[in-house]
Amino acid sequence: MEVFDFYRKDRWPHVFCPGCGNGTVMNCFYRAFNELGWNLDNTVFVSGIGCSSRIPLYINADALHTTHGRAVAFASGLKLARPELDIVVFTGDGDLGAIGGNHFINGCRRNIDMDVICINNNIYGMTGGQASITTPHDFQSTTTPYGNREYPFDLAEIAVAAGANYVARWTTRHVHELTKSIKIALEKKGFNLIEVVSQCPTNFGRRNKMGDASIMLEWFKENSVRREKARSAAVDHVDLNLAGQVTIGEFVNRDRECYQERIGVEKHGEKH
Amino acid sequence: MKPVVDLKYCKGCNICIYMCPKKCYSKGVDISPRGYFAAVVSEPQNCYNHKREGKLICELCVLSCPDQAISWHPEGEETK
Amino acid sequence: MSLTPGEYFLQGNEACVEAALVSGLNFFAGYPITPSTEIAEGLARRLPEVGGAFLQMEDEIACVSAIIGASWGGVKSMTATSGPGLSLMQEAIGYAAMSETPMVIANVMRGGPSTGQPTRASQGDVMATKWGSHGDYQVIAFAPASVQEMFDLTIKAFNYAEKYRVPTFVLSDAEIGHMRGLLNVPSNIKIVNRKEKGVRRTDEAYDVPDDLVPPFPTFGKGNKAAVTGMTHGPDSRIEPEDPKIHQELVSRLNDKITKNRRDINKWDLLCPDSKHMIISYGSASFGAREVAAEDDRIGLLRLKTIWPLPEEPIREAASKAEHILVCEMNMGQLYHDIKRVALEAGCKKIELLPKIGGEPPTPGEVRHKLREMGAI
Ligand SMILES: Cc1ncc(C[n+]2csc(CCOP(=O)(O)OP(=O)(O)O)c2C)c(N)n1
Ligand code: SF4
Ligand code: SF4
Ligand code: SF4
Ligand SMILES: [Mg+2]
Repeated sequence: MEVFDFYRKDRWPHVFCPGCGNGTVMNCFYRAFNELGWNLDNTVFVSGIGCSSRIPLYINADALHTTHGRAVAFASGLKLARPELDIVVFTGDGDLGAIGGNHFINGCRRNIDMDVICINNNIYGMTGGQASITTPHDFQSTTTPYGNREYPFDLAEIAVAAGANYVARWTTRHVHELTKSIKIALEKKGFNLIEVVSQCPTNFGRRNKMGDASIMLEWFKENSVRREKARSAAVDHVDLNLAGQVTIGEFVNRDRECYQERIGVEKHGEKH
Repeated sequence: MKPVVDLKYCKGCNICIYMCPKKCYSKGVDISPRGYFAAVVSEPQNCYNHKREGKLICELCVLSCPDQAISWHPEGEETK
Repeated sequence: MSLTPGEYFLQGNEACVEAALVSGLNFFAGYPITPSTEIAEGLARRLPEVGGAFLQMEDEIACVSAIIGASWGGVKSMTATSGPGLSLMQEAIGYAAMSETPMVIANVMRGGPSTGQPTRASQGDVMATKWGSHGDYQVIAFAPASVQEMFDLTIKAFNYAEKYRVPTFVLSDAEIGHMRGLLNVPSNIKIVNRKEKGVRRTDEAYDVPDDLVPPFPTFGKGNKAAVTGMTHGPDSRIEPEDPKIHQELVSRLNDKITKNRRDINKWDLLCPDSKHMIISYGSASFGAREVAAEDDRIGLLRLKTIWPLPEEPIREAASKAEHILVCEMNMGQLYHDIKRVALEAGCKKIELLPKIGGEPPTPGEVRHKLREMGAI
């Protein structure tokens, strides 16, 4: 499948700003999907609201672009109604972790089969750069003009604690690793989260002396620490700037039975 | 193979320049039809995939380009 | 298996459960709330028996979200709730209206505002049902007044949700939900299934013009449907900035319901040509029904559909009546709309018997009010 078999070419170029990490995540997803030889007609892309949540509308497949924060809930119903379809959720840090936080943790807990790609740009991109639940401490945003007084969430660690089957976090500077993790997630049953720390040069970078996408990528590179090598317990390396680093790598890879298997609506045997 | 930047899609973010370990790309000096300083593949011969067929390696530029603007073409192919 | 034809003695909420199954319900998402909980409990037990799925969600926002997702998978889906849950559902209800998603919400009303009277009946959600989400949209709502109607109108709700691709409500209350009564399940129940994209149908259920209700592009069938709550053109491309596309879309979403009132509106009439008409619906009509049955000077127009408002029978009744009394279990919600229609039809005296607190107006209260109005 060529790139523009995968995407809706008539909608190109997409709306994302120059240098926005969303497009990079799309590349890695397409690459993983294509290498697995998956079928677009059997996959539904679900999202909430935000720049990152626009991605499904660009893919040449069924897309459910929903309300802010609720993508996982929409996807849960869809999966139970049509267990034979593969569900991929594209979401953002605000969408998944703030307004959708309850659906997120309960989605992990239920372990309904879906792959959630959360593009964590540490900001509310679409609404113009307000602080999100992952904005690093002390950083600038339009709603934290004196620096962020709060501390960020660690979405990946939350997903592990809440029961997701597979959790990995990479940055847009780690395209090969990210592609590999997406492949693993696609092939795995249960609730899988891939968190991608990504750049929003327009609304995060510019306000934090990183207006250039490349500077942000360099920042990710400098501050990323492999999970095996991370300093100490989870609480110590929560997110960018809590301990001054992003922990990257696989956080968990386990095989809890997924919900639709337990309730017996699993109609498809093998996954592709 | 050589990478080619599609002027219809490039938004001049320069991520390819930053990502390429072989310095194949450089900043654009002309404004593209879409109004951006589109990146230029100035040193395609430096690329790991120069004269390579079949499975390509590296591809950091293609995987990173947020605008799906970079694609692979045979060395001999005329591209503008 | 769903209920076979015959007589049953059931609770209102149980009748709703069975009607949903007869209608072909395949997915239910719920969150417990009095006085609707029996619907969730019933379906948790019954749905797996018929090969469907039940999911208890983390809140009511998730419930509506999940049933919309399921509906796009091509199955019939439903949730049940009461006032506080309805408040949480509103954003997603607007999404369902905008994305034209068939689905059913059973709202077993209780006294509000806020937590109010969890166990007592009310009709306080009538306006919230129609106007609760932002923007201009339409829904369909039925108001059953017996166990039998809980069954019949739940089936209608599913049928109309499918036919018009619209969120459809069964607006009962604690009184109807919890009452026990006789249910007669007939043998020839008409079930409407979705008009799917790419599937031609000759079914008479689809006499709505195609341009008002587009066929449904079920997921997983190669339709490449792009479903969104943003303003979109007929090709589903999002066009949030285009005034014309927005006007066309939102007008059609409204027209497909309001222009088909005749098909959707259901009502019951006692003494149609009476000079003194009571207009009521749901359990608020109990007292009025008794009064009208005993006193042939008094007529009763009982609305079974409340949204879209059955303007035609109201106009008809108002053109002949000197007095109209509206009985509602709220402080006057449908009253204002009914009054508007009745005034236009030439009736001068339109009064309200509002009853809140949890009990339907009694026949004595109805008579008292009619006397006050000089009707009897
Ligand atoms: C209920 C609701 N509240 C607020 C908004 C406004 N809103 C739109 S996008 C957004 C933030 C999105 O942030 P994120 O999920 O991180 O996505 P990003 O744009 O950063 O990719 C907000 C608050 C909305 N659409 N709906
Ligand atoms: S605002 Fe930020 S997240 Fe949104 S498209 Fe622009 S760069 Fe990307
Ligand atoms: S493939 Fe690697 S070496 Fe070749 S141009 Fe792209 S980034 Fe540079
Ligand atoms: S990464 Fe892509 S969009 Fe950015 S400058 Fe290079 S070719 Fe252009
Ligand atoms: Mg964000």
